[in-house]
Amino acid sequence: MLTQILTFLIFFAVVGCILYGRRLIRTEKVDAVFGNPERALGGTHWVIVGSSFLLLIWLYYSWDIAKGFYPKSANELCQVAKVNDSLLGLKYQFPIEEREFKSTSQIKKENKNLKLIQNEIQNSEELNSQQKTILVNYISKTNQLIPLLTNEDLLEIETQQKIDDITGKINLLTENFQKSDYPFETEQELNERLKAVDEEGGWGITKVDAGSGSIENTLEVPLVPATYRGLKFHTAAQELNLISDEFFKLRNHNPQFKNKIKELKEEIKSYRKNLSDSEEVASTYAKNIVKIARRIEFASIYPPNALDQMQAAIIKFDNAQKKEQGGLRLIDVFLFPAGTIVASGPSCSEQGSGRWLPKPSDTFNKFILMSKPSVGYKDIPLLWIQMVDVSKMIGFILPDWIADILPGEYPVHSKDGIVKQNFKGGVLKIVTGDFNLFKVPVPYGHIWDSFLRVFLGLVFGILIGVPLGLFMGLNRFAKGFFDPLIELYRPVPPLAWAPLIISVLGIDNTGKVFLLFMVSLSIMIISARAGASGTQLSKIHAAHSLGASKRQILRHVIFPNSLPEILTGIRVAVGMCWGTLVAAEFLAGTTGIGFVENVAKKYFQYEVIWITIFIMGMLGLLFDITLRKIIDKTIPWRGKG
Amino acid sequence: MKHINKQGRGKMKKIISFILGCFVALNLSISVANSAANEVRVAYFLEWPSPNLEDMMKKNFAKALGVPVKWTNFTNGGAMTDAMLAGDIDISYSQGLVPFINAVKSKAPIKLVDVAMEYGMGGTTCVTSNASGITKANATELEGKKVAVPLGTMAEYVFDESMKVVGADRKKMDIIQMDPEEGAAALVSGDVVMACLFGGNSIKAATAVGSRLLTVQEARDAGILGIDITSVTTKFMKENPGMLRTFIEVTHEANARYRAGKSDMNSMSKASEMKVADMKETLSGFKFLTPEETKQSMESGNLDAFLKGMGTPRGNVDTSFLPL
Repeated sequence: MLTQILTFLIFFAVVGCILYGRRLIRTEKVDAVFGNPERALGGTHWVIVGSSFLLLIWLYYSWDIAKGFYPKSANELCQVAKVNDSLLGLKYQFPIEEREFKSTSQIKKENKNLKLIQNEIQNSEELNSQQKTILVNYISKTNQLIPLLTNEDLLEIETQQKIDDITGKINLLTENFQKSDYPFETEQELNERLKAVDEEGGWGITKVDAGSGSIENTLEVPLVPATYRGLKFHTAAQELNLISDEFFKLRNHNPQFKNKIKELKEEIKSYRKNLSDSEEVASTYAKNIVKIARRIEFASIYPPNALDQMQAAIIKFDNAQKKEQGGLRLIDVFLFPAGTIVASGPSCSEQGSGRWLPKPSDTFNKFILMSKPSVGYKDIPLLWIQMVDVSKMIGFILPDWIADILPGEYPVHSKDGIVKQNFKGGVLKIVTGDFNLFKVPVPYGHIWDSFLRVFLGLVFGILIGVPLGLFMGLNRFAKGFFDPLIELYRPVPPLAWAPLIISVLGIDNTGKVFLLFMVSLSIMIISARAGASGTQLSKIHAAHSLGASKRQILRHVIFPNSLPEILTGIRVAVGMCWGTLVAAEFLAGTTGIGFVENVAKKYFQYEVIWITIFIMGMLGLLFDITLRKIIDKTIPWRGKG
Repeated sequence: MKHINKQGRGKMKKIISFILGCFVALNLSISVANSAANEVRVAYFLEWPSPNLEDMMKKNFAKALGVPVKWTNFTNGGAMTDAMLAGDIDISYSQGLVPFINAVKSKAPIKLVDVAMEYGMGGTTCVTSNASGITKANATELEGKKVAVPLGTMAEYVFDESMKVVGADRKKMDIIQMDPEEGAAALVSGDVVMACLFGGNSIKAATAVGSRLLTVQEARDAGILGIDITSVTTKFMKENPGMLRTFIEVTHEANARYRAGKSDMNSMSKASEMKVADMKETLSGFKFLTPEETKQSMESGNLDAFLKGMGTPRGNVDTSFLPL
C-alpha cells in the first residue's frame, strides 16, 4: 500500500518538478552567460527529481513496484516458472531454444572427440603399429555405433510406441490445459489450498527467529498457488514432470546396438586385461574409447525424424501456456526488469536484480526490526543505551599499579576463612572499579562502536598530526627529520597495515583505532603543514612589528591562518576513516557496522547488507554536515582573506 | 529566448532517450542467457586434497566429459555459491555443507548431488590455548571469554556441536568472527582463549600453543562430523544431466582407486599444492564414500541428519546422478 502511494508521489513529484524547471527556464531572466557560476545556483526542484529518480530506480529494479501493484504476481509467476522448469529438460532436446537437436550436437561432439583421439593415437610415439591398428579399429567400431541409433528402420516398435505415448500425453495436457475448468478442484481442495496459502503468507515477509535472536532470511516467494490461474500452471507442471521423467527413462537401444556395444566393451576389456604394465598408454587410450562409447549409450540419440511429433507437441504446449499467461507476461516483462521468478525443484526464488537488490519496503521493515534493542544483530542492538556505573569508568581511567606501589601487603584470608579488608585492598578495589557509585546511561551497540572508533582515530590523528604539521611547517629540523618518515608511510594504503594489526595490536579496539589513526594522521600533518607554510609573510611581519612574541604569532597569526586547511583536512580524513573502518572491522570483530555487513554477507542477507550501507552513508553525511557547521562557525573568514 | 528554449528541449529529448536506452540495455544485458555448455567450470579448494584431483591434473575429466573442464580454486564455500549464482561456476566440488545450507536457505538455485567426503575433527577443530588452562573438563570457563569462530562455515557447526558436548553455553561467550589464519594468530597472541579453525596450516599454528578441545576420537564418538559435498547449479543439471553423471562417476572411480591404494600421490599433492606427507596426513582424516554409502548418507544417514538438524528446506538433494 505504502509502496503504491510512494510510487505515485514520486511520479507526480518528478513530472511536476520537470514542468516547473522548464517553466523557470522560460520565464527566468538571467543575464549570466555560460560559465558564470550563478547559473548553477538554486534548483531545489532538480534535487527532488534527482532523489526521486534514485528511489524510483530502486523501487523498479527491486521489483517493489510489482509487489505493490500486483502482490500476487510473484506467486503466479512462480507457478509459471514451475512449468518452465519442468519443460526445460525436454526443451533442451529440441531446437526450440537451442540451435540444433541435442542428438545432433552430441553426435557432432563425439565425432570430434573420436577424431581427436584417433589423431593422437596415430601420432603417438609410445604405441607400436600393432597397438595402433587395434585402437583405430576400436574407434571405427565406436563410430559405427552411431548409425545404429540414428537409423529409422532399426527403431524398435516398442520405443516408437512409447514416444507416441508420451507425445499423446503432452497433446492431451495441452488440450486440457486450455479448458477453462482445468484442473477440476473440489470445494474441499479449494478450502485446503486457500488455508495453505494463508499459512504461508505473502511475498517477502520477514520472520524473526526469537530462539536464536537472529533475523532469518525472508520467505521470498510463496509457493502454494494462490489464484486459479496459478493452480492451473501448478497442476500442469506436476503432470509435465511425470512426462519428462518417462522420456528420460526411455533409451533408444535396439538389439543390434546392444549387441554391438556389449561386444565392443568386452573386446576392449579383454584387450586391456592382456596388456602388460608397460603398455599403459594403450590401455588408457582403450579406456577413453570405452568412455566415448558409453557416452553414446547414455545420450538420448534418436533417428532424425522420430521425435518430430513430440517436438510439435511441446511447441504447441509452450504456446498454449504462453497464451494462458495473458497479462502476466506483460507484468513479467515490464515490472520484473533484469530477471524474473525462477523455480528450482520445489522452491521458487527471485533471480536477477530482485535477488541482490532488496525491496525498499522489506529493507525498511527489517531495519525497524533490527532497530529494536531486543533483536539487534547477533544479540547486540544497533544503537541503544545501557546503564553503566560510574565506578567502571573510574576503574578504567585509573591505572591498576597505583595499588601495587602502595606500601603493605594485600589482605590474606585468616584461619576462620574470613578475608579482612585493609587499605591497600581498598585502593585496589577503587582502581579496578570494583565498587558501586551511581549509574549513568551510556550508548552502546554496533553503530556507537563504529562511531567511537572513527571518532577516536580522528581525535588522536588531530592531536598528534596538527602540532607536528605546524612544527614541520615552521622548523627546518622538524621538516628534515620527519619528512622522510611521513613521506614514506603516507602513500601506503592504510589497509596494507591490516595483516599486521592482529599479530601486533590484537583484536580489540586498539588495532582498529590504530588503523584509523594512521589514516587521519598523515592527512592532518599534510594539511597543517600546508596551512602553516602558506601564511602570508606580510601578516607575520605586521605582527612582529607590533611586538608580538613567538607564541603570540603562532597563536594569533599562523594558527588561524592554517585553520581553514586543517578543517578541510579533517573533512577529508573523516571520509577516509569511514572507508577504512569497514575493512578494519572485517578483520576481526564482535561489533560494528563493518562486522554486521561481513557476517550478513556470509548468510546472504542482502537486506542487512543494504541497511549497513545506508547507515554508513548516513553517518558519513552526519559527520560531514557537523563539520561544515563547525567550519562556518569557527572560521567565518575562510575564503575572504 | 526562443533559441534557448529550443536548445533546452533538444537536450531534454537527448536525456530522456539516453535514459530509456540505458533501461533497455540493462534489462537486456542481464536476461541474455548463456547457451549450451562448451566447457564445464568446476570450483575446488587448495590444501584440501581429494583423489579426483589426480584426474584434474591428467585432464581425465575433459576426456570423460567430452568438453574442456576449467578448474578454479576458491578459499571458502560461500564464494563458491556466489560464483555459481553469477553463472561463472557450474559444479562446486567439496563445498562445505554449512555454506551450501546457507545458500539454499536464501533460495539459491543450487542442488546437492554427491557427497565429496566425510571427515572428523582432524580437518576442522576447536583449539584452546594452553595459557588459558581450559580443557574439556572445565569448558564452562569459556563463558564470558573471547573465542574466534569463522561464522557461516563448517567450523561454526563444529563449534556449536562441541559446545553441546562439553556443556558450555555459546550465548555467554564473546564470539569473534575470524577467518582461520587470523584465528590462529589471535590464539597465538593470547587475544582469544579458543579458536575454531580448518585447514592444515592454521591448525598446525594453533596447536603449537594450544590443544584440541576434543580429540579426533572424542569428536567422532560424539558424532561430530564434517561433510563436504558436490553442488551444482540447477541450470547445468537440467541442461547437461549426462555430463553431471559422468563427472560424479569419474570422481567415484578416483575414490575407488584411492581406496585400492592406486592413486598417484605426487600429482594429487601438486594439484592441492601441499607436500606429500602433509597431504597424506590430511587425507587420513577423510572418508571417501562408495556410491552405495553416499546414497545411504543422502537418504537416511549422516548427510540427511545434518540437513535436518540445520533446518534445511527439503528438496535440494538429488541422488539420481550417483553411479549405482
